[in-house]
Amino acid sequence: MNYLKSICVIGVNTYREVIRDRILYGIVVFALLLIGLSVVLGGLSFAEQAKISADFGFAGIQIGASILAIFVGSTLVAKEIDKQTILTLLARPITRTQFILGKFVGLILVILTVMAGLAAVLAGLLLFLQLPITGLFAVALYGVILEALVLVSCTLMFGVISRPIMTVIFASSIFLLGHWVSSLEGLMKMKSIASEPTFQIGVKVAKIIPNLERFNWRSAPIYNIDVPFQDLAYATVYAIGWMIVFLALTSFIFRRRDFV
Amino acid sequence: MSTPVLEIIDLKKTYKRGFRAKPVYALKGVSFKIEPGVITGFLGANGAGKTTTIKCLLELSLADSGRILYFGKEGLSNEAKSKIGFLPERPYFYDYLTGREFLRFYGKISNRLKSQELEQRVNDLLKRVGLAHAGDRQLRSYSKGMLQRVGIAQALIHRPEFIILDEPQTGLDPDGRFEVREIIRETASEGTAVFFSSHLLPDAEQLCDDLVIYKQGEMIYNGSTQKLLGQAESGFRITTSENGKLHEHDVKTAAELQQKIDALRAQRLEIREVRPLRLSLEEIFIKMGFDAKSPIAAIDTEGARR
Repeated sequence: MNYLKSICVIGVNTYREVIRDRILYGIVVFALLLIGLSVVLGGLSFAEQAKISADFGFAGIQIGASILAIFVGSTLVAKEIDKQTILTLLARPITRTQFILGKFVGLILVILTVMAGLAAVLAGLLLFLQLPITGLFAVALYGVILEALVLVSCTLMFGVISRPIMTVIFASSIFLLGHWVSSLEGLMKMKSIASEPTFQIGVKVAKIIPNLERFNWRSAPIYNIDVPFQDLAYATVYAIGWMIVFLALTSFIFRRRDFV
Repeated sequence: MSTPVLEIIDLKKTYKRGFRAKPVYALKGVSFKIEPGVITGFLGANGAGKTTTIKCLLELSLADSGRILYFGKEGLSNEAKSKIGFLPERPYFYDYLTGREFLRFYGKISNRLKSQELEQRVNDLLKRVGLAHAGDRQLRSYSKGMLQRVGIAQALIHRPEFIILDEPQTGLDPDGRFEVREIIRETASEGTAVFFSSHLLPDAEQLCDDLVIYKQGEMIYNGSTQKLLGQAESGFRITTSENGKLHEHDVKTAAELQQKIDALRAQRLEIREVRPLRLSLEEIFIKMGFDAKSPIAAIDTEGARR
């Protein structure tokens, strides 16, 4: 019980610290601008205005959550080390694993808060454009949450082994590769593009990168496509699996770190 | 005999930066003890290994070898950690938390006080470190001195039995230094053992019951402050007054001192002051550090070593 309590205390503290940071408001404004842009772009189409707006709106939420995960996540541990707050924290009755989990929980709470605000704005916008809000709206958001879990844990892992700028580069690469990995796999299956050895290497590389497109259900509410429960369950297990792998690696590396 | 709050046995730490770099022996097998309720000053020049020792004590940096016992038990368990308070050198804390939230956070994470008791403790400590007026302000608006004081409060929030302060008076003005000195004194008077590193030797001389002195990764003194100062005593000076003029009379031993006082009283001279003639801790420290051939260095490094 105390183990979880300490994680929660660190999580709440991280949440409080990030939610008051000015950088967060920059990211929120950026995401709101993207949602706003969706109205303008939707206006260019006579027939599909609501659908185009919804598409851009969900993209705004997803990009906002990803930027938060990568940019704030990259400084989450580095800031504690630079400012030496880590020294006073680790001198308390907590383990280094609890510290990492607390940081993770705190940033996820921030992302959920920001997403809730952006989703409310998007829902209002879609209602205004007379697009019905169904359960699929929540499914699309759930996909963004699963992706955020993977991205935050992955960013934390890079954050304990490199400087923030390198962490941003590594985590952004995972984000981009994670979204392209299915397309790349598909492309490589066309034998005319890749030779056999390249294809085999490509298949293996694809397995060590989380496929973030598995969580992409953003078109479901727009085109009213049902998402089978099995897909949701599989994606949840897949996201949690990657999250555990990244957090375990982060904790393993962090436990051996010397704070000279 | 009470169990020491901390006992270090043959602690060694080596740094090696870069693949081909020569190893730097930061700690060359140091051993010392800290007794409960005692203020122990931790002295040494820059790079002597003080901060490395503190980091090894708290497992922030892993020692190569040696044993560390807290409250008689091997290793830094969570139980031991809950009895320890720590303030690092040059602390910077969470910019966007208020002083009150910051202390509450450290109190909660220490898991020793119940909510109501913690709230009372936060208020008491804010008052004690002179920050009651700034408790609801974010830490980014605090001055360096205020940060140092709130840092000391976080080290004390959970009523620790042992506190480690790494240069708590660095960067403070004379008022701030005085306040920190008073807090250390008060804390020790409540039974908490205090271990603090400092470069401010006059403060250490006034405050510390015991001293641990390092030179280049080795411990060159561990013992009572008075014993060290006493070893550097070279006699006594009696100041008398006659027709408004002051005269000084130096004697070498305590027996000579008594005889001289009797003689002066017999002459009906007014005795104004009697004081031991000895070097200050600062002077002793400099001799220990730089003058290995000095008689005091010889006494301190051989005779005074435990």
